[in-house]
Amino acid sequence: MDYIIKYRAENKYEAQVNEALWQFLIKPEESADQTIRASEFTNSLGAAVEESTNTYGFEIVRIHPKKPFTEILFEANYLVRKDQTNPFSALDNVVNTEHYAAVESLDFKIRYERFLGSTELTILPSGKIPFIFDKQRSIFDNLQGLNTYIFKNFQFKQQVTTVTTTLEEFINQGQGVCQDFTHLFVAIARANNIPARYTSGYLHQGNGYFEESQMHAWAECYIPEKGWLGFDPANDLIALQNHIKVAHGKDYNDCAPIKGVIFSNSAKNDTNYTVEVIARKESEPDVFHPLQEFEPLPFKQQLDMQLQWQQQQQQQQEQQKQQQTYTPS
Amino acid sequence: MSETQNSIFASYEKDSKFYDEIFDEKGNVKKVYQTLFDLYSGHSSQDFAKLNEKAKASFFNQGITFQVYNDKEAKEKIFPFDLFPRIIGQKEWDVIERGVLQRSKALNHFIWDIYHDKKIIKQGIVPLDLISSSENYLHQMIGIDPPGGIYNHVSGTDLIKHSDGKYYVLEDNIRCPSGVSYVVCNRTALKRALFGVFNHYNAHSVTDYAQNLLEMMESVKPRGVDEPNCVVITPGVYNSAYYEHSYLAKAMGVELVEGRDLFVENDFVYMQTIRGPQRVDVIYRRVDDQFLDPLEFKPESMLGVPGLFSAYKNGNVCLVNAPGTGVADDKAVYTYMPQIIKYYLGEEPILNNVQTYHCSRPDDMKFVLENIDKLVIKPVDEAGGYGISIGNTLTKDEIQKVKKTIMASPRKYIAQPIMSLSVHATYIEESESFESRHVDLRTYCLLGANKDFVLKGGLTRVALKKGNLIVNSSQGGGSKDTWVLKS
Repeated sequence: MDYIIKYRAENKYEAQVNEALWQFLIKPEESADQTIRASEFTNSLGAAVEESTNTYGFEIVRIHPKKPFTEILFEANYLVRKDQTNPFSALDNVVNTEHYAAVESLDFKIRYERFLGSTELTILPSGKIPFIFDKQRSIFDNLQGLNTYIFKNFQFKQQVTTVTTTLEEFINQGQGVCQDFTHLFVAIARANNIPARYTSGYLHQGNGYFEESQMHAWAECYIPEKGWLGFDPANDLIALQNHIKVAHGKDYNDCAPIKGVIFSNSAKNDTNYTVEVIARKESEPDVFHPLQEFEPLPFKQQLDMQLQWQQQQQQQQEQQKQQQTYTPS
Repeated sequence: MSETQNSIFASYEKDSKFYDEIFDEKGNVKKVYQTLFDLYSGHSSQDFAKLNEKAKASFFNQGITFQVYNDKEAKEKIFPFDLFPRIIGQKEWDVIERGVLQRSKALNHFIWDIYHDKKIIKQGIVPLDLISSSENYLHQMIGIDPPGGIYNHVSGTDLIKHSDGKYYVLEDNIRCPSGVSYVVCNRTALKRALFGVFNHYNAHSVTDYAQNLLEMMESVKPRGVDEPNCVVITPGVYNSAYYEHSYLAKAMGVELVEGRDLFVENDFVYMQTIRGPQRVDVIYRRVDDQFLDPLEFKPESMLGVPGLFSAYKNGNVCLVNAPGTGVADDKAVYTYMPQIIKYYLGEEPILNNVQTYHCSRPDDMKFVLENIDKLVIKPVDEAGGYGISIGNTLTKDEIQKVKKTIMASPRKYIAQPIMSLSVHATYIEESESFESRHVDLRTYCLLGANKDFVLKGGLTRVALKKGNLIVNSSQGGGSKDTWVLKS
C-alpha cells in the first residue's frame, strides 16, 4: 500500500526574528518494507534546505534563513510504499529459556547498552518496575502483555503533558499522549533487560482522519533471534503496516521532529503543526495527492484483525502445551 | 647570614609525618635547593614583604584573575602567587614525564575502545556499569572516528608526593583542564620579582606550551585540509578561566571566538569575519560537552554552535578535546588505571595510583563506613575540589551526614586513604616569613597525531591555610613557579 504524508508547520512570531535555525527529523526512513517514492520539502522564505544525518543515521534537514522575518511556513510531502508484513511466526509464543539467558549475557548487554540504560525521560520513579516479566512465557508474550497493561492503565489525553514530562509525573496523573506511553513502555522493557528504543513516525488511522494531527510514537524492542519489533502502547497494537517509521533513539529527545534556535527580542510565538496520512492505491502515479477514491480497511477493522490474530496464536500455544503434556513418552 | 636566615625561616615547622621538599630528615637543605636557599637567606623579611606586594599588583594589573563559584558574591580574585619556586631535578622529572604520557596514551586507547568495540568490558577488565551509569558517556560518540584517532588531546594529571617520597596520581583531568596560563604567568612574575636567581639555575622554558598546542591542533586537522584554521572557543568573559582562554589564543596567534561568532552550513563550520565567512577546521573548545550544540545537547545552551556536532560527526571539524572524554575523567575509572595501562599498552604503570575504594562495591562500602575517619570521600564527577570530605576533620554529626549521603548514592562516591601531601617552603603574609605548606603538582600533556608533548614544568598548587590539604584555587589555594632542571 502507498501512503501520502503531508506535514505542515506554521510559525508566527510576535517580534521580528533576526536569526533562526531549524532542524527537522520528519522524513520516513527507508527500510526493507518501507520505500520512499517521492519527497519534497519547502519553506515560505525560500531558504536553502541543508541535508544531513543525525547520530543514528536518520536523515535530517536544516533551514537557516538569512534574513529577518516574522512568520515562516514549512511543508513536507512524502510518498511512501509499505509492504505487507506479518510479524507473527510460530516462534513468538514458544517459551525459549535460551532467550532469557541470551539477554542476561554480558555480550548482549554490551551490544545493546545504548537501548538498555535509562535517560532523564525514562527513569522509573523510585526504581520500581510496575510490570515484571513472567519467564514462563515468551519475551514476545510479555511485551504484548506490557503493551496491554499500559494501554489499560493509562488514559490518552492531549495537553496534560509536554515533551519534558517525566515518568513520575505521567504515572501520577495517569494521563498523557503517545510519547508518555512510549517512554513508560521502553523504561519497563529495559528494566526487564529487553533493549527498547523510542520510535517516531506517522500512524495511518483511516483516510479523512484528522483529529489528532501530530506525529506518532511507539516502541521497538529487540527479541533474540527475531530482531526489532514495534509495539504501540497508546493503541495496544503491534506496529505493522499503518506505522510509518521516521526515526528511533533512546527517548523523545533523539527523535524530536523539530528543533529550533531562535534569536529574537520576544520568544512569543504561535505555532501550528498538522500531519495528514492518506492511503492510496499503489497503481497511481507518484504525485502527492490521491487521484482515485480509495478506502483501505477501516482502522477499527484492522484492530479487530490484530486481536483475532493474537487470539489464534494463544489458542495454538494452548494446543501445543496440551500436546506436550499428553504425548506418551 | 645566619641571623637573616633565622628571621625568614624562623617559623618553619618541620614535621616528620610529611615529606619535606626542601629539607631532608636531618634538617639540612637538599642539594637542589641549596643555592636558592642561600640566595633567599640573603634577604630580609621586609624585602620579601615588598616583593610579595609587587607580585600581587603585577597579577592584578595584568587581569590574571579567576572567579569562585558558590560564593555569595561572585568576585574576580587573583590566584595567589608564591615567591618560593618548586624545583624538580632532571631524573625525577623524567619519571613524571614518561608516567604522564603513558597515562594519557592509555586513556586515549580506553576512550576509543569504549566508543567502539568495548573489548575491555567484554574481557571483564572493567565493569559495563562504569560507562552505562556514567553521565559523561555520550551515546552520540559511539562509532565516531575523531581525526587522528585522538580524544584526550589535552590532559592535566594531578600528582602529589606522599610521605614515602613517591609520586602518586590523584586524578587525570581530560575534559578541559585549566591552569596552564598560570604556569607561564608564574614564570614571568618570578622573573620580574627575582630575576637574579635564574642566573644560578638552568630551568626549562615553559613558554613553548602554546607553540606545541598549536602544532598538536594542526596535527589533528580534518581530512582534505592543508593548512587548518584553528580557533579557541570560550563560553565568554564570565567563565572562571576566561583569562586563560584569551591567553592561549593570543599566544598561539589564533582567533578567540564565542559560539555566536561561528555558524554551521552544510556540515562545515565557519567564522564570521569582516571579510566574510572563513572556514574553521580545528577548535580548541573550552565549552563543556553539554553546551556545545543546542541541537544535539542542552537545547537551551547559548554558548555553543547549532549544528557543530553534526559537522564534527561528518569529519569536517576537529574538536579538542573530543566530546565524551569526560567518561574517562570519572574518578571511578581512575581506580582501574593500572589495569587500563596494562591492557592497552602491555606496560607496568610508571606512576602510582592511590588505593581507592568504590562505594558501589559492597565490601568496599563496608570498609568505607567503618573507617570513614581515616579516609577522604570524593564525589566521582565533581572537579575543582567541590564536595570533598576529609574524614579526620569531621565531627560526629558530620560523619553521620556523610555516611547517609554515600548510602543514598554509592555509585557517586569513592574513598581514598588520607594522603600526606608533601610540604614546601611558602611565603606567608601574616608572619612575613616562609612556612611549610602542602603542595601538589598539575602536569600538562598534549596528544596529537604523531605528536606528543609534556610541558617541562607545571602548576605547583599550594594550600595556603596551615595544615590544609585541599590545594584547589576555588578552595583558597595559591601556586608556585615550577622549575624542571636541564641537568
